[in-house]
Amino acid sequence: MGHLLQLAINGLALGSVYALIALGFVIVYTATGVVNFAAGEFVMIGTFMAVTSIVQAGLPLPVAYVATLVGMALFGLMFYALIFLPLQRRPVLTVIIGTVAAGIVMQNTAVLIWGTFPFRLPSPFSDKLLIIAGSVVPLHNIAILVVTALLVVGLYFLLYRTALGSSMRATAQDTETARLMGIPVDQILAFTWILAALLAGVAGLLLGPIWFADVNVGGALALKAFAATIIGGFGSVPGAVLGGLFVGLTEVFGASFISSTYKDGFSFLLMLLFLLIRPQGIFGERIAQRG
Amino acid sequence: MNRRELLGVAGALVSANVWSSRSAWAADEIVLGAAVPVTGPYSLSGRLYYDALHLAQDDINAKGGIGGKKLKIAFEDTQSSNTGAVNAFIKLRQEYKPPLMFLSSYSTQNLATSPEVIKAGIPVFYAGGAEAVAEQHNKWMFRIRPDDGLVALGMADYVKNELKKSKPGVIFIQNDFGQGAANVVIDAFKKQGIEAAGAEGYGQNDKDMSAQILSLKAKGADSLLLFCYPTDGALVAQQIKQLGLNIPLVGSSGLFLPTAINLLSARDFANVWGVIDAVLDDSAGARVKDFMSRYQARFKREADSYAACFYDAAMIAADGIAKVGADPDKLRDYIAGLRGYKGLAHEYSFDQLGNGVHSVSVVNMKPGKKEVALVKEVKPPRH
Repeated sequence: MGHLLQLAINGLALGSVYALIALGFVIVYTATGVVNFAAGEFVMIGTFMAVTSIVQAGLPLPVAYVATLVGMALFGLMFYALIFLPLQRRPVLTVIIGTVAAGIVMQNTAVLIWGTFPFRLPSPFSDKLLIIAGSVVPLHNIAILVVTALLVVGLYFLLYRTALGSSMRATAQDTETARLMGIPVDQILAFTWILAALLAGVAGLLLGPIWFADVNVGGALALKAFAATIIGGFGSVPGAVLGGLFVGLTEVFGASFISSTYKDGFSFLLMLLFLLIRPQGIFGERIAQRG
Repeated sequence: MNRRELLGVAGALVSANVWSSRSAWAADEIVLGAAVPVTGPYSLSGRLYYDALHLAQDDINAKGGIGGKKLKIAFEDTQSSNTGAVNAFIKLRQEYKPPLMFLSSYSTQNLATSPEVIKAGIPVFYAGGAEAVAEQHNKWMFRIRPDDGLVALGMADYVKNELKKSKPGVIFIQNDFGQGAANVVIDAFKKQGIEAAGAEGYGQNDKDMSAQILSLKAKGADSLLLFCYPTDGALVAQQIKQLGLNIPLVGSSGLFLPTAINLLSARDFANVWGVIDAVLDDSAGARVKDFMSRYQARFKREADSYAACFYDAAMIAADGIAKVGADPDKLRDYIAGLRGYKGLAHEYSFDQLGNGVHSVSVVNMKPGKKEVALVKEVKPPRH
């Protein structure tokens, strides 16, 4: 029992990180129609902004966290202005490839700024462990679950209970009509990228203490989050969360009970199955083309 | 353009290439090649010996070079792929035609480059540990570190005879190095009548190894053997503590490199041993101390055994060229005949398979500190 519980908590913690990145995919996709393949590098930049504020500048943790998130917000705005805006009118495929190229540039820039050696970030919970039903669980992993849950609730509240959220959803549905209705579409799109960057920043702050800040972390994260988004349903916020948790649990339980050698394959195999059998994912709606 | 014109252009290009490669050496210099990882995940180790080779080059030139000629080491980045390694080797070969080259410390890259080494017909130093590299019987390849089989034998011996454990679990990075070493250690245990509790692999980019650790725990492992690189090794060591396991961990050299040590706390090293290449501290002598302090001063980071063994390789190359000249066949014979060469990291004697190092060191951390302490040096008998 203790073994299963430990695996479940670790799988949920891992899945929560994937869910945060998948949420970034979803909100950018729903607002712009673009799949941001630099999402993993957003998280990597978040961890290294934390390195600068915590390790290099030595700021107290609360101050460093705020500084990191402010930095990520500015980064999201910069990405919107320098990458998305110039390519906005181009075909969607061009924009997607632009995000891939941007991700490569981001990784190499990170190498130039911070070097190739990883950093260890301190956790606000130090190395504290909890004993739950005979299982040893790092307190930090519990914090990941709690923070992710709060963010999901907050995001849901933003999107469905505020005027800003209504504007975001209107822009996602039909940009031109939204503009005609007086919605400041450009500002909404900029805010969408800022929000995606903030989510990635939070993911980076959560990940840094357990995975180290590493310039190579982005690629693998993005792929897993992409699989989570496909499984949950592209464009669905609850789908992104459920998909992320599902991928995390599949990875951990698959490695433990089937094969650690092929654990990465389980998530992608599931993704392929969903694409074949239910391409809209768990929560996505099938979109019929009109003749 | 018609066929004649096309052939003319092609001929001019080939001639230019041949001429430019012949003139790549200045008259007063000797050029060696180094195909090493400078970017990507492999650069965590690669940068260390990239810097060490620069230091060696400058030290040799400060003493007048080789036979009055300046030494130049030309570098190409292998990145972190086999294709990158092969391309880097070929580019150096074509551009400089060096009489000797240095390859990376990654067995997978060494294996990929081996056929090109045979085609080139020049001796190379490499630091990948997989036995598979030497088992290719490539007479041009010389290993400057203990091979993984030696490390695995040392780990098996220490776990059984010193730690007195009888149900070891094995965790390994899934590549030629990790899988090969895991197979050797499981085999070594079998020969001593011990059945491993299990063997779990993880991918190079994996960050969460809790499933593998918990799986071995569930199978009753009373000790863990880890074959790793620095970052993933540090992750495993940290996660073992986070999962509340209080069983001994014996890791390969990656776990005790500065990169890994900087990522872990002293508490993470409790109940942890390493079977590593060499201990480079003040006890290793004045030459080592001098090398370590000059390396630190110049590159602002601590040298490790990989840096030291590549430095040694450069010195061996310089000595060889000084004695027998820059002819690849003569250099190859010189290196193959080397016995008892005392370098910084090791004493080198190259056997028929090109293995130059035949001992490993068992280490741990001084209690409550992050200072490596030598437990014992071992020379496991080769199987």
